[in-house]
Amino acid sequence: MGMRNAAAAVAPRDSGRRRGIRTHLPTSPWLFLAPGLLVVGGFSLYPFLSTVAHSFTDARTLRAGRFTGGANYQEMLHDPMFWTGLRNSVLYVLGVVPPLVVLPLLLALLVRRSVPGIAFFRAAFYLPVVASVVVVGLIWVWLLDDRGLINALLEVLGFGRAGFLSDPWLLLLSAMAVTVWKGLGYYMIIYLAALAQVPRELHEACAVDGAGPVRRFLTVTVPAVRATMVLVAALSAVNAFKVFSEVYLMAGAAGGPGGEDTTLVMLVQQAGTGLSGRVGYASALSVVVFVLTLGLMLSVLRANRGEDR
Amino acid sequence: MTGAAGRRRRAAGWSLAARYLLLLAVLALTVGPFLWQLSTSLKGPGEDIYRFPPSLLPHHPTLANYAEVARVIPVWDFALNSLKVAAANVLTNCAGAALAGYALARLRFRGRRVAVVVFIMAMLVPVESIMIAQFMTLRQLQLHNTLLGVVLPGCIGAMNVLLMRNAFAALPYEVEEAAFVDGASAWQRFVRIALPSVKGTLAVVAVFAFMGAWDDFLWPLIVLNDQSKFTLTVGLNYLHGTFADNQRLVAAGSVIAVLPLIVLFAGLQRYFFRGVGEGAVKG
Amino acid sequence: MRRHSRRTPAATAALAASALLLSACGAPDGGGDSDSAAGKVEGQVTFQTWNLKARFQKYFDGVIAEFEKKYPGTKVKWIDQPAEGYPQKLSADAAAGTLPDVVNVSPDLAYPLAKAGLALDIGAAAGKYRGEYLDGAWRSQQMPGLSGVYAFPWYLNTGPMFYNKDLFRKAGLDPAKPPTTYDRLFADALTMARKSDRRIAMLAGAPSIEDFGRYGVRLMDARGTEFTFNEPKGVELLTHYRQLYAAGALDAQALTAVAESAGRKFQQQSVAMNPGSALDLENFKRDAPGLYENIGITDAVNNTGKANMYVQGLMVSADSKVKPAAVAFAHFVTDRRHQMAFAKQVAVFPSTKGSLDDPYFTKEDGTDATRVRVAAAKSLKTAVNYTPVVLSDQMKTVLRNAVARALQGKQSPQEALDSAVAECNRLLKTG
Repeated sequence: MGMRNAAAAVAPRDSGRRRGIRTHLPTSPWLFLAPGLLVVGGFSLYPFLSTVAHSFTDARTLRAGRFTGGANYQEMLHDPMFWTGLRNSVLYVLGVVPPLVVLPLLLALLVRRSVPGIAFFRAAFYLPVVASVVVVGLIWVWLLDDRGLINALLEVLGFGRAGFLSDPWLLLLSAMAVTVWKGLGYYMIIYLAALAQVPRELHEACAVDGAGPVRRFLTVTVPAVRATMVLVAALSAVNAFKVFSEVYLMAGAAGGPGGEDTTLVMLVQQAGTGLSGRVGYASALSVVVFVLTLGLMLSVLRANRGEDR
Repeated sequence: MTGAAGRRRRAAGWSLAARYLLLLAVLALTVGPFLWQLSTSLKGPGEDIYRFPPSLLPHHPTLANYAEVARVIPVWDFALNSLKVAAANVLTNCAGAALAGYALARLRFRGRRVAVVVFIMAMLVPVESIMIAQFMTLRQLQLHNTLLGVVLPGCIGAMNVLLMRNAFAALPYEVEEAAFVDGASAWQRFVRIALPSVKGTLAVVAVFAFMGAWDDFLWPLIVLNDQSKFTLTVGLNYLHGTFADNQRLVAAGSVIAVLPLIVLFAGLQRYFFRGVGEGAVKG
Repeated sequence: MRRHSRRTPAATAALAASALLLSACGAPDGGGDSDSAAGKVEGQVTFQTWNLKARFQKYFDGVIAEFEKKYPGTKVKWIDQPAEGYPQKLSADAAAGTLPDVVNVSPDLAYPLAKAGLALDIGAAAGKYRGEYLDGAWRSQQMPGLSGVYAFPWYLNTGPMFYNKDLFRKAGLDPAKPPTTYDRLFADALTMARKSDRRIAMLAGAPSIEDFGRYGVRLMDARGTEFTFNEPKGVELLTHYRQLYAAGALDAQALTAVAESAGRKFQQQSVAMNPGSALDLENFKRDAPGLYENIGITDAVNNTGKANMYVQGLMVSADSKVKPAAVAFAHFVTDRRHQMAFAKQVAVFPSTKGSLDDPYFTKEDGTDATRVRVAAAKSLKTAVNYTPVVLSDQMKTVLRNAVARALQGKQSPQEALDSAVAECNRLLKTG
């Protein structure tokens, strides 16, 4: 217990908020914030207002819409594809968030210590992140194909082939696996930056106490990077909910056989793409995605604050 | 040498070996799949690139595909444009996100919570739904078909602001206390004390910003018209022929696209391992 | 967030066009001003092609230089868009009023632009040129519900069916006699699946709208206002495909296949037949030499006597400030001489009358490439573009999903097609 408190003392998560620093001119916070607010306001939030407005019309890509009230939202409720998309987006969050919170942390611990050649390993582990998602899709489709390397291996081992790219459930699982694979390095470096702020003495003190690596991990590391774990959980949950590329590249534009693997953002794209795109309906879907991700993000952050007390 | 020390050294040796084994295992998992692309890019004409089981080693290894990429498209001009866009994106993101993140984490003022929520909301706006609206704004600003227009909408990412806020919030309060007592202004505390302590997260933001700008495809495609201004991802798309794809060229193109990022990462990675220890508190 | 969402790039990411549609420019009949193309041919014309610069820079530089010389006082600025994202690029430009003067479009892209009043009516502005083009090509640029013609016909393409003689042989089928009727095709496909123990499929993809067209299904009513592909013939085709899928005669991944993945399967030799074009021979030789040795070439099966063709066109923007020059240039690029020259650069086909009678398209020299070219040119004289121009991407998805449900046995072919027709008609009416 004492160790836990020690960790909390060296890495206070929110000292600024609690103790606050007041000695500054009243305008300066806003000067600090001005560039950021201007850019996100002008190029994200303001344009999104027109999306919200469009969601109440029947606009097409090349045709201004008429006001249709909540018709788009009503249509959505009766659209079986919407429910399939929502189900898959939720499953995606449940499937990829736990591994994406834990595995990158373990990976960060693995590459943290300097051993000869470590720079090479660190850069290599980052490769999946920087490779374009199209290339990644190409590679995994090749690996998971009916006649791909992985099925060849399964066959040699006597398991028989699996329809990674033809069975709707296996397709969804395969896409999740690729998301996790590609996300490892991404979240790893967020953890690395956080771990750098955990003093090494703490670990050493524990080691002297005779604590094993597992106990040290649970009693020192985890509490010290808890804020970051929450951040990673929130970010990966939002990204998972909005997944598009992995499913698109592996399950096709329609989202799997008969659209069974479609996700909400895929539906946004399907509805809104092209010169005949249904901008009104796509906007309504976008608004729903926005509201759901906002709820998801806030609830993850709130759950964390609740635990704090 | 005491027996205990020997035992400890042997144990350390074993643990080092285990560490390398793990590193190699992860390496196989993360890099292995790419070998296929690399191998395809090195295969000469007439080699069956679809055969089963696949052959990973090119029978007639050649760099001709890379030369061909450079012959078909002005790949260096494209790369230079990408570099400009990515470098600008790194600078604006590091500066803008650090400023905003510092204010959100370390300064107390009315409206702070609202400001945090504004950034969270901005981060969640589905990009695909606002791209045309963004393009119309750029046109009004007369910035379409310019590299500046490519950079502008993402030049301070909301997620980077939140990352910086998180980093500043994790700094011990004591770090700034002394300066505060000395009567340093918010700006002075920010530049002299807080910023050097979050180098690790700044490096993360730099990598994300560089990568984001380097990999982005649809936005530069929409903004730019002149081929002379195209970025690498847009330009490499010319390798997908209208009439016939040459998989070897596509593979070579994807290797070219990924190399600078890996080099950048290898160069920056040591900063991820610096934190408070090397920062203002002690030094 | 854009910079960090690992979702945006490439092939795929399409944008749901939001916002700000056209301002007040162009009522739906805005392109009909027939006098707008009259006047002096001068000024700067912006000319946008779709992914042609990397390979054909020299050809186009030549055409442009020649045009500028013929019409002093004109200048052509050529821009070229890469393969991916072309519809999105057009959407953004159309919405912002920045469309180039002359734009390379296929009919399905031209239709929404014409409907929004953004395409000049070529029939009205330059109807005198109509006689220069093949009838079918000219007609393929007509749009249901609109009176005009909205693009100069440009190059055409069509292709044979390639098949793998080795796989035919192994399945006990005669490699010299590929199927020429649907009945034979379906029977051979079942044999192939049975003999290979479901390892080799005959076809890689589920049927698309052109397959329905080729089979002789009436896709739309005569006026192009309603879809009709749920007629008995359509149900019949889908029922056949359902049997094939159940027997393993369609590839297991057929329900998510696209042209590229189908091509890959064929080159991996796990699929025995695949449609293609003369250009593919080159690819087989380079990428899959094992397949190339065993390649067989035959006509695509159809019940209508008409092959399917793909059409490209050149549209003139209705908002162009230099309409006379733009029309003159679009005609210049698509005239007989220049189309012929382009067809000799790459295996595509000219849409101008008489061009296909050129010895280049009629004389065999014993090579496979020439054989494919001659056969394609012959079939193009009567070919049609089966894909209705009003069939939007959204409708294609509807059809694709319905076909998948039928093949998986989740719905009967009749039910699936009925629901797809109803949904497509709804989308058509509200468009």
